[in-house]
Amino acid sequence: MMKGDFEVVNGALNLVQPSETWDYTPAGFPVPHHISNLPSTTARPVLDGHCTNTNLSDFMEQVASPFSEASPSTNGFPMDTSLPTDNITTSPDEYRSRKAPRRVHESAACGGESRSSKSLAERDEHGLNMITILLECAVAISTENLPQANRMLLELTQMASPYSPSCAERVVAYFTKAMTSRVMNSWLGFCSPLVPHRSILSAFQAYNNISPFIKFAHFTANQAILEALHQKERVHIIDLDIMQGLQWPALFHILATRADGPPHVRMTGLGTSMAMLEETGRQLSNFARRLGMSFEFHPIAERAGDVDPSMVPSQRGEAVAVHWLQHTLYDATGPDRNTMRLLELLAPRVITLVEQEMAHTGSFLDRFVESLHYYSAIFDSLGMSLPFDNPSRHRVEHGLLSREINNILAIGGPARSGEEKFVSWRMELACRGFVQMPMSGNSMAQAQLILNMFPPSLGYTIFQGDGTLRLGWKDTRLYTASAWTARPTR
Amino acid sequence: MNPLTPHLPKPPSFISSSKLSHDQSYHHHMSTNSDPSDTGATEKWAAKLLQECAEAISVKDSSKIHHLLWMLNELASPYGDHDQKLAFYFLQALFCKATESGERCCKNLASIVERSHSFESARKVILKFQEVSPWTTFGHVASNGAILEAMEGETNLHIIDISNTYCTQWPAFLEALATRNDDTPSLRLTVVATVGMGGSVMREIGHRMEKFARLMGVPFEFQVVRVATRLGELKEEDLGLQEDEAVAVNCVGALRRVGVEERNDFLHMLCSIQPKVVTVVEEEVDLTSSRSEFVKCFKECLRFYGVFFEMLEESFAPSSNERLVLERECSRSILSVLACDENGGGDCERREKGSQWCARLMEGFSPMSFSDDAIDDVKALLKRYRPGWSLRPAEGDASGFYLTWKDEPVVWASAWKP
Repeated sequence: MMKGDFEVVNGALNLVQPSETWDYTPAGFPVPHHISNLPSTTARPVLDGHCTNTNLSDFMEQVASPFSEASPSTNGFPMDTSLPTDNITTSPDEYRSRKAPRRVHESAACGGESRSSKSLAERDEHGLNMITILLECAVAISTENLPQANRMLLELTQMASPYSPSCAERVVAYFTKAMTSRVMNSWLGFCSPLVPHRSILSAFQAYNNISPFIKFAHFTANQAILEALHQKERVHIIDLDIMQGLQWPALFHILATRADGPPHVRMTGLGTSMAMLEETGRQLSNFARRLGMSFEFHPIAERAGDVDPSMVPSQRGEAVAVHWLQHTLYDATGPDRNTMRLLELLAPRVITLVEQEMAHTGSFLDRFVESLHYYSAIFDSLGMSLPFDNPSRHRVEHGLLSREINNILAIGGPARSGEEKFVSWRMELACRGFVQMPMSGNSMAQAQLILNMFPPSLGYTIFQGDGTLRLGWKDTRLYTASAWTARPTR
Repeated sequence: MNPLTPHLPKPPSFISSSKLSHDQSYHHHMSTNSDPSDTGATEKWAAKLLQECAEAISVKDSSKIHHLLWMLNELASPYGDHDQKLAFYFLQALFCKATESGERCCKNLASIVERSHSFESARKVILKFQEVSPWTTFGHVASNGAILEAMEGETNLHIIDISNTYCTQWPAFLEALATRNDDTPSLRLTVVATVGMGGSVMREIGHRMEKFARLMGVPFEFQVVRVATRLGELKEEDLGLQEDEAVAVNCVGALRRVGVEERNDFLHMLCSIQPKVVTVVEEEVDLTSSRSEFVKCFKECLRFYGVFFEMLEESFAPSSNERLVLERECSRSILSVLACDENGGGDCERREKGSQWCARLMEGFSPMSFSDDAIDDVKALLKRYRPGWSLRPAEGDASGFYLTWKDEPVVWASAWKP
């Protein structure tokens, strides 16, 4: 965990120079015509560097506090889907200290309807009760006391609903399900996953639509890639987990409309199934062709850590960019040491990395506590944007987030294979001699433009510091984008 | 644990894996996605896997059991689609069966439910269910019709209500009494409450019934009879019968709660109180005759709850909490039937089909036919719901008639006199 002077910046500062001309990507995001350095932000430092809780009682208080401060719900929030103007005022509410009541952002404001028949005190007690049992259950699992855990899980499954207006209850429902699955796996003695890729992809797309996190990853990374591939004629982009390649059309559009003409683009996409990769490749090739950009696609149906480097040959004069968006839906990369070796061999001009700010390794209890905090924030964010019975919200929570939670709590963590995984990729890259390239003002601008699609009062926050860009919800950092190079920048 | 052995089943095709093996040291496997035409080939995967697992359990094929439980565990979810739900709840039951923890789980669940159920929540669920599905209202309308007819001309009515629908049947009955042409009779309603129905719930119900009866202008008395442990222990003396009253016994989802060995005696007891009519409503599934044959019982249980879950899905909105509560209720029944032996787990959940109940009832009763009015009432009721529901008279060994959903008989209603 890197300490530093973190600065909290909301989507409020006016970085857009009115005199610049704007182009629009297919996704509808305005993009500067030429890359220029925008003034760096001067935001007020508000938080200290820490965001993870190692003190369980602090955490318990923080998680439980919404229940004691929940107030009767207001009506559902209007979602402002229009692109706002450049001048957005900061709402001072966003910068409260961490211990301040999260009243606005919890079950009260989460979804339009409250269970009006239950009194407030009853609801709070119910919520507190659920969380207490959940934590006790986690402790039981961490001490391998499976019968005890099972008993509590039985109770929790009767108590928590994933359709509740209360985000906390939804989180409990899914954590309960994950722990139920975990107990079964512990009893069975093996834990390989079965992964339904198509339904994951569909949930991933829904997530991309209703939440800024994926776009944040894509657009900040694209910006860093653009800057690194500046004026290159031949580029080779390697996406370590390409899925449906949602990220790339936006980048292609900019490359294709470069002042000095488009480069020749070679793309290598890694993924789980050749059929799906070929489909992705076809889509991207068609898109590139329509843009008049010379393009080749190479699918590799292997994980990065399993790939024989000879399968990813470099060509002379090519600038290599490697991109990876970390998730815990399935193990996309395999043995991390091998992946690192591959990166060293490729010696890319830029590696764009987007990591989840959450422990993927460590003891069960550590993973449990961190992920509870992490996903509470994400569920909260979804609850602020969509009503409790919205089908997309359910698809994302059930099809995507629940799957991640399941994997994190599984035996050995999300790798589910016993293979060794790095604690922090940023740390490892730094150790292996890769040099960090600070995310530029333009990347920051991209991030803010994405946030501008989601009304600032909702609570998404950008943190900038240590050369990285972090997107979070309220006080919780969720995704960190960083860029690295195999050799010092000229 | 051996690597993939030939007889181990493959996962459903939407998850085909090229190398599938697992051992104690968490061997990783590569899972690839397969044919684009996912949906067709993969429907009903849950039933298939579950049945294979039940079979494996019955022959004690340990490696196959583990393999299937693992697969089901990976694919199941109580919040997913139809197959995922079936997989989840039946997996729970199979797991309890395999670990012989069924009784303990049932007991725990019973006490949890007891603690957490409130009048408000129970009422909300059942009212919503009745709004979207005729599953329970069918039996109510049929029974009310039969009782009204049998009690024609009587002035002091006493209804013994042994049902599981929290008295939602009676407002309509009170209304019918109040609007009869002749003088309004008086009604005593005795509700037989079993362990699962909390005291506070029944008290609240009593208050409301009294209030409603006052509104309708029907002289009314409400009492609750609590059965200590098992419904089968209910005795005539417990019921507080009086002279000069016409008695009707209303058994909606009641007889199945009587222990299998006690059923005939229970019916005998009912016969001995000389009621004018006994109405019986039960769900159409046989979980009794096969109770010593695990696989057969499992299949029938899976068939029935598959239909029930499907019906719930098509009747409720997707994010319905009420539907979730009903599904969880089913899971307790499933657990009780599949993972507990006869004497464990509170109320019995071993349902029987109409024809089976008929065989028992014929011992001391003869069937009463429903009047045309009563049948018309039921037909009118069904029209108020989504299409798919229909009425079918019983044939052959059975009397009464069935509620059918997509042409499959699901609930059976009948009326009897001694």
